[in-house]
Amino acid sequence: MEDLLEKLLEAVELGKVDKKSPYPPNLKDQDGAYELAGKALEQGCKPDEILEKALIPAMANVGNRYSRREIYVPQMLMSAKAMGGAMLHLKPFFQSGETKRKGTFIIGTVTGDLHDIGKNLVSMMVEGAGWEVIDLGVDVSTEKFIKAIEEKPSAVVGLSALLTTTMENMRKIVADIKTKYAGVKILVGGAPVTMEYCKKIGADFYSPDPQGAVNYLKNLAS
Amino acid sequence: MESTHFQFALSELNLNVSQIESVMGYKQGESQETISDLISEVLKETEAICNIKGEYRILSDIQFNDVEKTIEINHLVFQIKKIVYGLIKKSDSIAVFLCTAGEGIGIRSKKAMKEGDLLTGYIYDVIGSEIVESAADLMQNELEKTVISSGKKITNRYSPGYCGWDVTEQHKLFELVPSNFCGIRLTESALMDPIKSVSGIIGIGENVRFNPYTCNLCDNKNCIYGNAREKN
Repeated sequence: MEDLLEKLLEAVELGKVDKKSPYPPNLKDQDGAYELAGKALEQGCKPDEILEKALIPAMANVGNRYSRREIYVPQMLMSAKAMGGAMLHLKPFFQSGETKRKGTFIIGTVTGDLHDIGKNLVSMMVEGAGWEVIDLGVDVSTEKFIKAIEEKPSAVVGLSALLTTTMENMRKIVADIKTKYAGVKILVGGAPVTMEYCKKIGADFYSPDPQGAVNYLKNLAS
Repeated sequence: MESTHFQFALSELNLNVSQIESVMGYKQGESQETISDLISEVLKETEAICNIKGEYRILSDIQFNDVEKTIEINHLVFQIKKIVYGLIKKSDSIAVFLCTAGEGIGIRSKKAMKEGDLLTGYIYDVIGSEIVESAADLMQNELEKTVISSGKKITNRYSPGYCGWDVTEQHKLFELVPSNFCGIRLTESALMDPIKSVSGIIGIGENVRFNPYTCNLCDNKNCIYGNAREKN
C-alpha cells in the first residue's frame, strides 16, 4: 500500500495525469494519478490516507519547488491536473461527508479587475492542500464575497488584484467584510500587493506565492 | 493630428516556442517536450483568433516641469514620476501609442481555464502578452524609421502602471486619442479591453536615447516582468 501511495505522490508531482498521458516520457504507458488513486481505494486505502500521504505532500513539494524557483508555472499546472485526476475518485467521499476537508477557502479577483491566473494558481494549490475552494471568479464585488461568507461563515477569504487601481478596491472589500464578519481571516495577493499594504488595509496575511497561502491556511487549520 | 495605423499578421512577429518558454521562466533547453508541443499547438491556433493592431500619433505641444517631474501634453499634465521623467525629459515631441492582440486570444484563454485546462489557458495568456509586446516593438521600429530621417531618435516606450507612474493616468492618456482608437476601450479601473493591449508614450528628439535595460532602473520588487527576467 505504501508503495502505491508513493507512486501516486510521484505521479502528481511529475504531472502524470493518467495512463494515456504521454508526459513524463519515462512513465509512458504506466499508471497515472487517476489509476493509482483508484487502485489505492480498491485495495482498502482510506480517502484520508490518500490525501494525507500522497496528494497533499505531492502538492506541497510542487509549491515549495515553485517558491524556490526550481520549477515554473506550467509544471505546477500539470501537477494540479494530475491531482484533479486523483480527486475524481475522492470527490464522492467529500460529498457524502465521509472524508472531511480541512476547511473552506473563498477566493476571487476584486471588483474592476479581470486577471485570474494568479487567483487560479492559488485556488488549485489550496485545493491540493485538502481545502474546499469556492472560486467566485473575477470582478467580484463586496456583496458577492459577503453572500459566500454567509453560506460558509467559517471560511477563510482570499482576495486577488493585479493593478494598483483595483488593489484599492481590496481596501473597501476587506473593511466591509471585517465590519460584518470581524473574525473572518482574509488573505491578499497579486503583483502590486505587499505585506505593508496588507497590514494597512486590515487584512490578515499576504503571500507573494501560492505556497505561502497554503502554509498560512495549514497553520490556521492545525 | 494624424494617426499612423498598423495591422500585423502573427507571422510578422516571428514568435517561437523558445521565446514563449523564456517568458515562462525556462532557460534554453530546460522545458519539457510536452510543454513545448502544447505551446507550438497553441501558437498555430492563435493565428486564426488574433487581430493585431497598433496606432500612434505624434504630439508636439509638450512641456516639462523639472520640479514636479511632470509632462504636459496637449494641456494635460501627467505625473510620470522621476524615473520616466528622467528618461524622456529631452524629448521635443511625444508619440502616444496603443496596440492590441485583439479580443479573441483573451476569450480563448479564459474559456480553457473555465473548462479546467489551466495550462492551455495560461499558454494562451502568455502568448497574448508576447504578441502585443512584439507588435508594439514593430510599431516602435517603424516610428524610429520615420523620425530618423530628420536626425531624431526615440526613447523606450513607457506606460502608466510602470516605474511608479500611476496606472489611473491611463484615463488622461486616452483623452489624447480619439475614442475607440485601435479598438481599445478603457474600463473605470484603467484596465484595457481587450485585455491583451498596451498603451503608453515614446519620447522623440535629437538628444534622447533608447535604453535596453530599463528593468534595472525600476524599484518595483513585485513586477512580474522583472521577476521573469531575473530568472533568465
